Amino acid sequence: MRRVAAITGIGSLGSYGRGLPALAEALKTGVPRLTEVDRSAGYHRTGGARLAALMGPQDLSPWVSVAAARRMSPTSRWVVAAAQMALEEAGGAPVREPTAVVMGTAFGQTVFTERLFRSITDEGPESASPFLFTECVANVPAGQVAIHCGATGPNLTVVEREASALIALGRGAREVEEGRAARVLVGAVDEMTPLAHAVLDRFGALARASPERPEQARPLDRHRNGFLASEGATVLVLEEEGEALARGAHIFARVAACGGAFDPSASRVGWGQGVPGLAQGLLRMLARGHRSPGDIDRIVSGASGSVAGDRLEGRVLRQAFGKAPLPPVLIPKAITGEYAGGFLAATVLATQALALGPCPTFDTADPEVPVVPYPGGSLSAPRRVLATSLAAGGAAAWVLLETA
Amino acid sequence: MGAVTAFGWGLEPLRQALGGGRTGVGPFARFDHERQRTHVAAQVPAGPPATFARPRGWSRLAFCDQFALFAAREAVQAAGLSFPLTGSTAGVFFGTSTSGLLESERFLTGVWGGQGARLSLIAANPLNAPGDAVARDLGVTGPVRTVSSACASAALALEDALRSLRGGEVDLAVAGGTDSLCRITYSGFNALRAVDENPCRPFRLGRTGMSLGEGGAILVLEPLPRALARGAEPLAELLGAGASCDAHHMTAPHPQGAGAALALRRGLADAHVLPEDIGFVNAHGTGTPLNDVSEAAALHEVFGPRTARLPVSATKSIVGHLLGSSGAIEAVATVLGLRSGEAHPAAGSDPLDPALGIDLVCGTPRPLPKTTLAVSASFGFGGANATLVLAPWLSA
Repeated sequence: MRRVAAITGIGSLGSYGRGLPALAEALKTGVPRLTEVDRSAGYHRTGGARLAALMGPQDLSPWVSVAAARRMSPTSRWVVAAAQMALEEAGGAPVREPTAVVMGTAFGQTVFTERLFRSITDEGPESASPFLFTECVANVPAGQVAIHCGATGPNLTVVEREASALIALGRGAREVEEGRAARVLVGAVDEMTPLAHAVLDRFGALARASPERPEQARPLDRHRNGFLASEGATVLVLEEEGEALARGAHIFARVAACGGAFDPSASRVGWGQGVPGLAQGLLRMLARGHRSPGDIDRIVSGASGSVAGDRLEGRVLRQAFGKAPLPPVLIPKAITGEYAGGFLAATVLATQALALGPCPTFDTADPEVPVVPYPGGSLSAPRRVLATSLAAGGAAAWVLLETA
Repeated sequence: MGAVTAFGWGLEPLRQALGGGRTGVGPFARFDHERQRTHVAAQVPAGPPATFARPRGWSRLAFCDQFALFAAREAVQAAGLSFPLTGSTAGVFFGTSTSGLLESERFLTGVWGGQGARLSLIAANPLNAPGDAVARDLGVTGPVRTVSSACASAALALEDALRSLRGGEVDLAVAGGTDSLCRITYSGFNALRAVDENPCRPFRLGRTGMSLGEGGAILVLEPLPRALARGAEPLAELLGAGASCDAHHMTAPHPQGAGAALALRRGLADAHVLPEDIGFVNAHGTGTPLNDVSEAAALHEVFGPRTARLPVSATKSIVGHLLGSSGAIEAVATVLGLRSGEAHPAAGSDPLDPALGIDLVCGTPRPLPKTTLAVSASFGFGGANATLVLAPWLSA
């Protein structure tokens, strides 16, 4: 019998707070929680982006002891806390082992890497801290999750910029489907340092204020000029659906299909124009799940406010759907920001009935982007949700979720 | 297959070095290491041969991207394919641990030093950059996925490629890894006292640590019927792969090698073979005291008393530890061994550590039975483990 991966738990931390209800509330109000980024080091350019969706101080002690947290990088703390939250939510009777871990990250461990290199530069290599070095390796959050959860299954960290979270979800689902893991902790985690923020801004990637408009990410809008950088972590619990039902677990959704493609016309740091190839990739993914665009009731778009990225996203969706109307298109990155796990959590949330506030970041359709976001209001539970992520550099990932 | 190592740009210099058991670890100049605790590494020599048609923007690429691109083109051409890779659903499956960290260091030095820094240096930083660069260069339109799981990265990428081929997601996989030397990893491993002052000596008495290296390696994988149908001669068969996690400690391996043994067993099960079918192990073999003990314990756990006479190669003694790329270069070395019917000798002449009970191939290559199967093992920080099970291609 075909094994199906089902989502049975979720833990999420971000600027919106802790847990799915906090994110749901943020999406309902339609207002991102923003923090002024520390510019004191002088990395930032004048007139550039000032804001990010940062974690801020949050009490993680219910999930990570203070003593354990002291031996971890910020991302390790967040992801271990998110994993414990997710496991608590998945609840019920114990599952069979092994548990696999698949984490996605856009940039890896930036805080500790920067700090370690600063000490090497300023004080010499003999000052290098073993602790900082250990915690600056990209797969450390996945390793810490394994240690804290006793997960001896496959353990990997995937890195494809904005597509990392969906690739991780697809890769994790495959571990369940092909029987290599009874349970998978799948997630995404990222942190945003002032330097990383300034670098993204210098590449022209971030939303910034203009004489007419405040600094705000405006996905799919004609006046968008960049995205909102964010940090945080989200972890999902995946289990084989039949086994999860047998132990009485609540199922959020099942992973019906996942896949990816690449646009070789993309530059190293930007998006290309390979609409036909990407649309074909999306259709190929749906076909593998024995579905077509007409079967989709809701789209969780990876549109973030990026000028080129959103244009590509809209055109790929339009081409894939042909002349058929698009279902409601949600743009959670206006609230969660880009990177980290907010988008992944919003994707799971989108499989439920939900109330969305009017989208304050969208007011003018872009004639170059043949897609407009859902204007806000209540949505009943969908049957199938398509999540899409097109990454700078060329990678693309899609996941199709079905409700039980 | 394609490779870039301390012996040069291309597979042939590597083949010769492996056969001679000659180490590429020695003095290096990738960065100033005067104040470091140790002073050896396996550095790739400058630039590819003049015959290599450099793609546009070559000089702006990070070193590790250059290694990856060269190795990918060599592999694709050796496979009898031309690029762009049209007419197939090709995917890129890549592993890296540090990617363009060396270039990021130069960027940061410029920023902190007040001299300013070119943004193109930091553009090389994202961990997905090398795999994406390969995909862009080869015109790939299928899935592109990069794994960054420390020293198990490339082996996990090869595992991903295998699963993707089996599942029909792609019909051609360009899989491998790349990493370059940089100050952060060199300083970090020295801070952990994990680097030998001399070229590393895996499984030998007196070993005190690893030797860092740099380079890239790529393998082209495709379903056997497809390869045969287009007239290609397979080099080997990737029969299976296994992965596990120690879930024990961030840097120290499990003392009894429990996670490593699990990955070995899972690899064998995935390949539908038994431990007694394996006649050659290309070990992770870093040369750190703890890693070698753990790996030896895992081999004894899985292969039992036969371990004492199971030929083991330690490719890192020759090319250094290529970190995220090590699983790929060691897969290449394993395939070369199966092709030639010989396990390559380890570099060095110190006596073997009798406590480990490992039959390390020393001095000269060791003949292998024609039909023997091989395992290539990779174990990384965070307890990530991966194994690949390979078979020689025996044409009808």
